[in-house]
Amino acid sequence: MTTSAAIHALSDIPDDGVPSVLRVENSDREETTPIIMDMLRSVYPHDQIFGDFCPVQTFVAAPPREVYEYLSDTRSLEEWTYSLRGLEPTDEPGLWMTFDRLGDQTKCFVRTVASPDAMTVDYHCAWDQGEHLWMIYLMRVVDAQVVLNKPGSVVMWNNCRHPFYDDNAYPDTAPADREEWVGDFWDMFSAGHQLELNNLKAICEYRADHGLPIKPKWMD
Amino acid sequence: MPTLPTVSLLDVASYLPENRVPTEYFTQYSRSDRMAKNVMFRSPKYRHHIARDETAVDMIERAAAPLIDRHGANTIAKVDVLLTHVQLPDNPVLGSGPEVARRLGIQPGWVIDVHNGGCASFVHMMQLAQMILQTTDAKTAMIAAAQNAAGSTFTQTEIRKLAHAPVPGDGCGVGLLAKSEDAPILGVHGRTYPEFAGDMTFEAIPESGRKYWEPGTGQPTIGFTESKITKVFARGNRLVPEAAYAVLNDIGAKPNDVDVFVTNQPNRLFLRNWHDALELPAEKHPDTFDECGNLFGAGIPVTLATENEAGRIKNGSLVLMSAFAHAGDYAGAAAVRWGAGS
Repeated sequence: MTTSAAIHALSDIPDDGVPSVLRVENSDREETTPIIMDMLRSVYPHDQIFGDFCPVQTFVAAPPREVYEYLSDTRSLEEWTYSLRGLEPTDEPGLWMTFDRLGDQTKCFVRTVASPDAMTVDYHCAWDQGEHLWMIYLMRVVDAQVVLNKPGSVVMWNNCRHPFYDDNAYPDTAPADREEWVGDFWDMFSAGHQLELNNLKAICEYRADHGLPIKPKWMD
Repeated sequence: MPTLPTVSLLDVASYLPENRVPTEYFTQYSRSDRMAKNVMFRSPKYRHHIARDETAVDMIERAAAPLIDRHGANTIAKVDVLLTHVQLPDNPVLGSGPEVARRLGIQPGWVIDVHNGGCASFVHMMQLAQMILQTTDAKTAMIAAAQNAAGSTFTQTEIRKLAHAPVPGDGCGVGLLAKSEDAPILGVHGRTYPEFAGDMTFEAIPESGRKYWEPGTGQPTIGFTESKITKVFARGNRLVPEAAYAVLNDIGAKPNDVDVFVTNQPNRLFLRNWHDALELPAEKHPDTFDECGNLFGAGIPVTLATENEAGRIKNGSLVLMSAFAHAGDYAGAAAVRWGAGS
């Protein structure tokens, strides 16, 4: 038998301490329904959905554990990303260097932090320098059997608009003649990331369809 | 294949019952001050209610009167297609068409009562009339949408207390169509969604289990089950822009080519969401919500007639109509190169 601790929800905050918190105690269904209805739209401004965060997701008809293992190998970026090419390990363990062909011969550094239990794969990246990896691509693989009642994987990918997207904090590390900055592309990330996620889906599904390992032999 | 003749929407006219009811009529029955405040905020300022003895046939006859004034009795006498849609039939076993024809003194070869177009019935009837005019010898059609469920069912003692009771209003709109190039229907699109059928209820409150023709104490009303309301809202958010875009696509036009966008008007949120979806400014999306409430199938023609009579729809304008019916089981849209202006 387990004992449950008593629940004292929000007991540390005065009753009207955070009026913006809507719970059934302070905003009943009659009062809350119009708020919900007002939030439901036919269309949503791009900026509202993709302004500060960039969520994209898809279903992949391939086994989730294998999709996770593929993604958690940094070299998979060489296959499904649009422009990261020429991955090589650096002297620092776990840190890879590659070229982002979006910027003319721009160096890109990547460290992959993966958690097999949660099946999360976070790519910590930066252009030009490998000291401060501030561009962090957060991915998660979910077993579609659990969430969609069918075999396969759900892959979710998010990205947060770090202030360095707007202001390069390390201008000295940039090649002198380069005009682009990675943040210039933020407004197309929703489409760009979806395109890359579609690549990932197509590659994994091709391998699954043809009996090939999702993580290809060359990565062994 | 021979080219089909062009059909025009030559004119629209409307009728609103004399009894103009302010929202206070309903809030006096609200359960609480808080609910009354809520109802005032969300409801139209006014709506019109039919008189107790007023029939849908009366409404259609009155709505058609301006057409006779403007086009002459001779033109109306030649109507050979009559389509009617009545929200709450005067007599559930028959359509209103024959009696409307008798009142108007016309002998149409085609008389059809259409009951499944709901709030999109005007577009539904435009599509049907267009087909009949294009494929038979018939030359002139009258279509009529009468909404009469407000003053009748929504004023019952148990129903008028409900938060949504002030939203419906009564009214009637008619359209005159003909084989003509004067105000061409450029495109019309209609689609039934069987997967959304059956979510609209006509039940007695309090629930009694009786059939509507059986005696009993419950007061019959139309509505949705509470759990379906957000589902219906989400469907409406999707269906009306989809139907509108389908027609625009068919005629090779873009939203910014549209001069006037007219929809059904269930509430203010839908109106906002729909012109947002077409990226049109609110000024291009007139409505009669604050004066008339939710006019169901009469919404489109009443708003068109109101705007046209005020001179706000110039001839040559691209007028786009779109609406969804019931809980989403039908949606339709039509585009007309306006020609009914003065």
